[in-house]
Amino acid sequence: MIPQSLVDIYLMIISSVFLLAFTLYTIRVFKGPTIPDMVIAIDCLSFDLAVFLGLLSVLYRTPFLITGALLLALWAFLFDLFIAKYILKKLR
Amino acid sequence: MEINIPSPISDVVLLIGMVLVSIGAVCDLLASIGLLRFRNFFLRMHAATVGIIGGAVVPLIGVGLIALSLNAFGSFTLPFTLLSIATASFIMVVAPIATHALANAAYRASTPKPEPLIYDAIKEEGGGS
Repeated sequence: MIPQSLVDIYLMIISSVFLLAFTLYTIRVFKGPTIPDMVIAIDCLSFDLAVFLGLLSVLYRTPFLITGALLLALWAFLFDLFIAKYILKKLR
Repeated sequence: MEINIPSPISDVVLLIGMVLVSIGAVCDLLASIGLLRFRNFFLRMHAATVGIIGGAVVPLIGVGLIALSLNAFGSFTLPFTLLSIATASFIMVVAPIATHALANAAYRASTPKPEPLIYDAIKEEGGGS
């Protein structure tokens, strides 16, 4: 039987790795030379933020954060489609 | 709707979930480094795919399995697991559509130049769709 405190320590270490990855994604968001670079970095950032919400809800024992993850994934999808449509509309 | 899994199976499920979340964290770190180091938008999309499929779909299933084995939320445990697996499958269906739409728009606008380009099928066949 694995004790629960060990799982909590493991989740804290894993979420620190996720926070480091978020920092690197944010550098690309602010540095990106063109619009599609920024958009794809924000896309990765929001899909991984959905995972981070799941980790936080296991760590803090509140089950309601995972509904926000589903809505966040939907938002990132719509964001990509609208930016692609905007770029294509600017061409004509 | 309280579920009680016997202890050895629960430990195996917990270990599988922890391995999946670890794979997700490693993939996420590699994808963020790749997104910084590649030099072009069309090259950065490889790293973005690693970050989305390996870094979001796999650890969401792992988080669901960890919560299922810890029985963390009482009667909300089974809905939590099902919802996290539903979110993972939703991301797996939706992310390639979004990435393809964005790549198509970026190619047609040609603001980031598609630089290491060996064979251009769209230009050969006359403008594509």
